Amino acid sequence: MFDLINMNPMLVMILEVLLICVKVVVVSLILFMLPLPLTYMERKVAGHIQVRLGPFRTGPHGILQPFADMIKLMFKEDIVPAKADKWLFKIAPVIAMVPVFAVYATVPFGESITIPYINKEITMYISDMNVGILYVLAIAGISVYGIILGGWASNSKYALFGGLRSSAQMISYELALSFACVGVVMLSNSLSLVDIVKSQSNWRWNILYQPVGFFIFLIAGIAEINRIPFDMPEDEGTLGAGYHAEYSAMRFAFFMLTEYVAMVTISTLAVLLFFGGWDGPGFLPGIVWFVIKVVAFIYLFMWARFTYPRYRFDQLMTIGWKILLPLSLLNILITGLVII
Amino acid sequence: MKNNNSNINLKNLFKKVFFVDLVQGLIVTFGYTFSKTITLRYPDEEKWIPYKRFRGLHTLNRNKEGKELCVGCELCAKSCPTNCIKVVPAQDKTGKGIADRVAARWEINLLRCMFCGFCEDACPTEALKLGREYELASLSMQGQLRTKEELLAPQEIPVNFEGGVIVKARLGRDEDEVSVKPDLSVQKRWW
Ligand code: SF4
Ligand code: SF4
Repeated sequence: MFDLINMNPMLVMILEVLLICVKVVVVSLILFMLPLPLTYMERKVAGHIQVRLGPFRTGPHGILQPFADMIKLMFKEDIVPAKADKWLFKIAPVIAMVPVFAVYATVPFGESITIPYINKEITMYISDMNVGILYVLAIAGISVYGIILGGWASNSKYALFGGLRSSAQMISYELALSFACVGVVMLSNSLSLVDIVKSQSNWRWNILYQPVGFFIFLIAGIAEINRIPFDMPEDEGTLGAGYHAEYSAMRFAFFMLTEYVAMVTISTLAVLLFFGGWDGPGFLPGIVWFVIKVVAFIYLFMWARFTYPRYRFDQLMTIGWKILLPLSLLNILITGLVII
Repeated sequence: MKNNNSNINLKNLFKKVFFVDLVQGLIVTFGYTFSKTITLRYPDEEKWIPYKRFRGLHTLNRNKEGKELCVGCELCAKSCPTNCIKVVPAQDKTGKGIADRVAARWEINLLRCMFCGFCEDACPTEALKLGREYELASLSMQGQLRTKEELLAPQEIPVNFEGGVIVKARLGRDEDEVSVKPDLSVQKRWW
């Protein structure tokens, strides 16, 4: 048995750096793998809601379907339209993808655990920024550039419309989303996600104090990740496939990946901000509660997707500017008054 | 009157504020999530057995003594709108038919047949029936020409089987044939 504190400080530092690297690799690997179970889940949810079975032929209950899809996407031809802006077209999926991964640098997944024997405490986040929530909102917002550029560079009117709609939608809903978070920040007196979660321990979940804030967050969040009923940027009915109409093979897969990870991000944020993060009855470790809550939110998003039709674009704008924004401001005002 | 109106408005407002309609929609789809599926897992596991009235592949019948009912009258060939039946009558004293006149050749070209059932109606001896076999794909054009011998063989689904059910089935594959073998004892209905 040895103690880290007694060790050479240089070695300790190297170990720290190594630890962070390991965490980064693990988190990004998990995020890269996430679309596999999520596409499967989405198709199963879709199937059962529509009284079908969903994928069933590849493997038992179609469990290998995502792998089959992945292989198919990898071997498809990577088509770049003739008059597209080649460089932008190629870089756009990456621009969309990197920010949604970067968000997870500051997302805490559970309570820190102590590894026995070496007495080393391992925190379940990559870094605890003191402006965590601000960072998350800001970085996640960058992702829309990928979508806009992808739509622009495709040299296709449908893709361009998708990109334009996406930018308009982002601007309108980012506001309401951020304002909904402000209420939570006021309650917990901190911008750090870890502190926000800690302030909600012992069932003092923010959903009880901020129900209006939560609903604004949820609706704006759905709009932010372009899912039905707010999936204007990729409205199949009117735009073909929207901003990724011209994309194929792995570049298309990057956009899909972005969308799924963004969905996980919004679910994660909803859990962290309003549902007490990893807080839960003690018989399961915190991280399990965290995952359960996140999956529940993802299920909610999928469930809603196959229940509702999509809104018209003007209705979308009306909801964003005339209802959600004033409501969120009012929410902040009332929260402020109550706190005082 | 005015009071009534404001009541309705309040109700609408309540509905809007608490997303009543949206929640109702979610409940409906949640119910369907756990309802029985209507997917027919054909050909892997299940197969639909049609009703008796189904018009599938032709079958030529025999009487109880095992004699061919067809008397080679060519009425089926004449009544066929697409001219796809070819009957060559012949005299026969060996007693394989119910009369002296039997069909020496009885061929049908399924590529042209539209399964209208006119031939079945025209047949005076009820020798010809449209059966319940519907997996008629073949690897060559030749495979779509069916001769008397093939049609005389009894079909997979017994004539007196009621039909209109989903049964368990197994997909069989080999070099030159793909078949879906039904197991009539395990039945299922989704409705
Ligand atoms: S079913 Fe109709 S088309 Fe087919 S052989 Fe009989 S009469 Fe001709
Ligand atoms: S099948 Fe019937 S209609 Fe056709 S030749 Fe035979 S007996 Fe006549």
